[in-house]
Amino acid sequence: MRKRHLCVLLAGLTTLASAAFATASAAESDRWQLPVAVKKLDNGLTVVVSTDHSSPTVGVSVVYHVGMRLEPKNRTGFAHLFEHLMFQGTPVARKGVFDKVISGGGGRNNGSTRPDYTNYIEVAPVSALERILWLEADRMKTLDFNPTTLKNQQDVVKEEIRVNVKNQPYGGFMWIDIGQHAFQKWENNHDGYGSFQDLENASLADVQSFHRDYYGPNNAVLGIAGDVTPEEAFALADKYFGAVAGRPTPAPSDYSEGLNTAEKRISQTDALAQVPAIAAGWKMPARGSRDQAPMAVLGNVLAGDDASRLYQALVKQRQIAINVSPLYGLGDAWNYNGPTLYTLFALYKPDSSADAVLAVIDEEVAKIAQNGVDAATLKRVKTKMLADWYNGLDAFIERADTLAVTQTLWGDANAVNKIPALIEGVTSADLQRVAKTYLTRANRTVIDRRPAALAAAPAAAAPAKN
Amino acid sequence: MSMTTNKLALSLALALGVAAGIAHAGPSVALPERLPPLAADKPLPVPQIARKTLANGLEVWVVPRQGLPRVDYVLAVRNAGYGADAGDARGFASLYANLLVEGTGKRDAKAVAEAAQGYGGSIGASALNDGVILSGDALASQAAPMLGLIAEVAQTATFPDAEVELAKANALQGLKAAQAQPGYKAARALSAAVYGDHPYARTQPTEASINAVSAQQVRAEHARRFRPDRALLVVAGRISAEQGFKLAETAFGGWKATGEAVADIAPAQPSAPAQRLFVQRDGSVQSAVRLGRPGIAATDADYVPAQLAGIVLGGGFSSRLMQNLREDKGYTYGARGGLTALRAGGAIQASADVRNEVTGASLGEFVYEFGRLNDYPVPAQELEDTKRYVAGGYLIGNQQQRSVANSLAGNWLVGLPAEFLGEYVPKIRAVDAAQVQAMAKKYYAAKDQSIVVVGDYKAVQSQLKEFGEFKQEK
Repeated sequence: MRKRHLCVLLAGLTTLASAAFATASAAESDRWQLPVAVKKLDNGLTVVVSTDHSSPTVGVSVVYHVGMRLEPKNRTGFAHLFEHLMFQGTPVARKGVFDKVISGGGGRNNGSTRPDYTNYIEVAPVSALERILWLEADRMKTLDFNPTTLKNQQDVVKEEIRVNVKNQPYGGFMWIDIGQHAFQKWENNHDGYGSFQDLENASLADVQSFHRDYYGPNNAVLGIAGDVTPEEAFALADKYFGAVAGRPTPAPSDYSEGLNTAEKRISQTDALAQVPAIAAGWKMPARGSRDQAPMAVLGNVLAGDDASRLYQALVKQRQIAINVSPLYGLGDAWNYNGPTLYTLFALYKPDSSADAVLAVIDEEVAKIAQNGVDAATLKRVKTKMLADWYNGLDAFIERADTLAVTQTLWGDANAVNKIPALIEGVTSADLQRVAKTYLTRANRTVIDRRPAALAAAPAAAAPAKN
Repeated sequence: MSMTTNKLALSLALALGVAAGIAHAGPSVALPERLPPLAADKPLPVPQIARKTLANGLEVWVVPRQGLPRVDYVLAVRNAGYGADAGDARGFASLYANLLVEGTGKRDAKAVAEAAQGYGGSIGASALNDGVILSGDALASQAAPMLGLIAEVAQTATFPDAEVELAKANALQGLKAAQAQPGYKAARALSAAVYGDHPYARTQPTEASINAVSAQQVRAEHARRFRPDRALLVVAGRISAEQGFKLAETAFGGWKATGEAVADIAPAQPSAPAQRLFVQRDGSVQSAVRLGRPGIAATDADYVPAQLAGIVLGGGFSSRLMQNLREDKGYTYGARGGLTALRAGGAIQASADVRNEVTGASLGEFVYEFGRLNDYPVPAQELEDTKRYVAGGYLIGNQQQRSVANSLAGNWLVGLPAEFLGEYVPKIRAVDAAQVQAMAKKYYAAKDQSIVVVGDYKAVQSQLKEFGEFKQEK
């Protein structure tokens, strides 16, 4: 057994130099390499294509390199509101056309806004591919700027915030509130959903300038995955997007920030929740740094699934939490490009406390910092992460999106084929290093969120600071 | 498991996601002149399913596929879910299903979880109305040991006392957390109105029903519910049919049924008086609005056309409910509706969460859309678009082996044959506007729908008057 594990580690190290051997610890039959073809059009639009003829369908993703970090300072929530407006029609394809064409072509579509990017995704029978590209190119050119659709989507977004935040127990505190306390710079710490007031103040001029500044082809990546060859896809991309002129994109502000140097503890009460909850977040290593993959693996060792250290410790052994789950901001361990958090979220039992949960987390992190992780566990976790990575690329819509997002953030769509080797290359010593560097008390921000009814009664817990 | 609405895209986006603009899919929207035409449709691929029944009665279906280095397994056991729960044991099946993977004759809960992780996969069980689904997946090289683990769980789950106690304690907290969600309260009230005292109405536990569970009872129920002659194993992925059958024989060939099988579930009621129910939620800034009435079983002759009618009404981003309540009025982030068909009955349902001020106005729009579906035939283009939407959903679902495996198992649980998956789209295509309207009159008449509102009564009371007298529920 031991020897085999040693071989695995050595193999893992070698793969760092050679991405061709993507999956050292998995059997030969478990290897999977996505074909990736990339071309940049004259107007700056990058097109990424991955062919798969196993289904007569196609996934499309248009990723714009702008998100919540770059929205105007007195317009919180604007990047997301703008995303909604991208579905509200253009001078030639009026309101309603976009979804009618996609649905009527047998497809599904959606969009989402993240700190670093905004994506627009479709999946449909391949017979609808040209229509999808025409529609995406059309709204990249211009929008139908009018007060009626702006007002309509301001209302819809406010309902979205009511559904997901205001009328919801916990109100997304594990991803909205915690970032407001953990980060120093406005770009990173404001509420990306926005205040109702800022949303209401958004004007057609704001919409116009945001589209002009950030939605040009040169600030976008088009990902296509499925029943189409690169030659066909590049030709279609050129046909529909080639005439969209590039336009200048403002240089981003410097939103980088270092790790935190003093722990923050916040107590909140929750009028709707019935069970107390805790979120603890640590600032992550920079995307692309040598600590990124180790941090991803450590995140899974700690809380990836039911076999994880913290699930076993908190839920099974100590029995003080009902669940524990990891978050990486609004994305995952690979798709960020600025300050983000690794956050643990748990519902804990009313007769326990946030301090008790933190004590167990500290204990498990300390064990890893001191002793590393045994070879069997490390191998299991890496095997699972490899499978998870492939699983995330299964659906064409996700495959197209992952390629486009990776091209946008890493500058290299083919990183999707390199990430398995990055995972494989992580050693126990790497885990010790990142545990000591990032999962420290000083770098930690904690929110203890207690039901109002419980908070009114004498707390079983020691009072939280701050 | 139903193919009614495709949640694929919805599930992709995190909380900030889902912008999804919505169209006026009706005839009023003119398509742009320069929009390219649709290319010719490619033939509809029908999954090739190899089938075999083991000597003990276990059905095995294998769907070999290329692509991902993964194998998916779904073991569906009929009459093992909520439908088999006693009248005073509400929600028992979910606690029972969760406990299946918490210990076997050979492994404790931690060892089960670690084994699955080491195979690059996961294992878990969940309760449905018509059965329990035990599923697992693994990297292709680990296909054999993963099926071994699933078989070990199915045949030797031990339900240790300590695990049952822990599951009960956590279920009590989970219930508290769930009850804080407006949707959970609304689902309970609506299913009671739709299903009456049928077991399909009892999927949510109560504090008392959780407290009443004992380890001994869970073991006895497992022995009674899990049996090969009531089970189907679906295998999908990078595996040949021959290999799949061989693995199934090795893992499950020795599984034996004991005792008397659980009786089939009695038919659910085909109709019910339309009720008006209000569930108070202090401080709610939105009302969870729900409408519904009894529907039909999946094997009913009306299933396909009635489902198509539901998709026109509320089946996707381009549905009438979404266009009207979201895109025209801005009352809600999302409105949907349609049909759920189970083995012994089903439900018609529609839903939206809307701000307090427009609760009554939203109800009015629901009533209007149900009425419009009744009073006018669906325009030809809208019907054609909706059929293409359904066919596309079939293609998109078939792209993923997990979804194929789940669809096959889900269809089997509700009584639909393996062939149904391939026949579904042609059957949808054959439905005409007159049939859709006939289905609307039969199942989607506004006067037949019960209405449930979860919210703050003080804030919305005055808007509800025109919809009748609302009975206050807890």
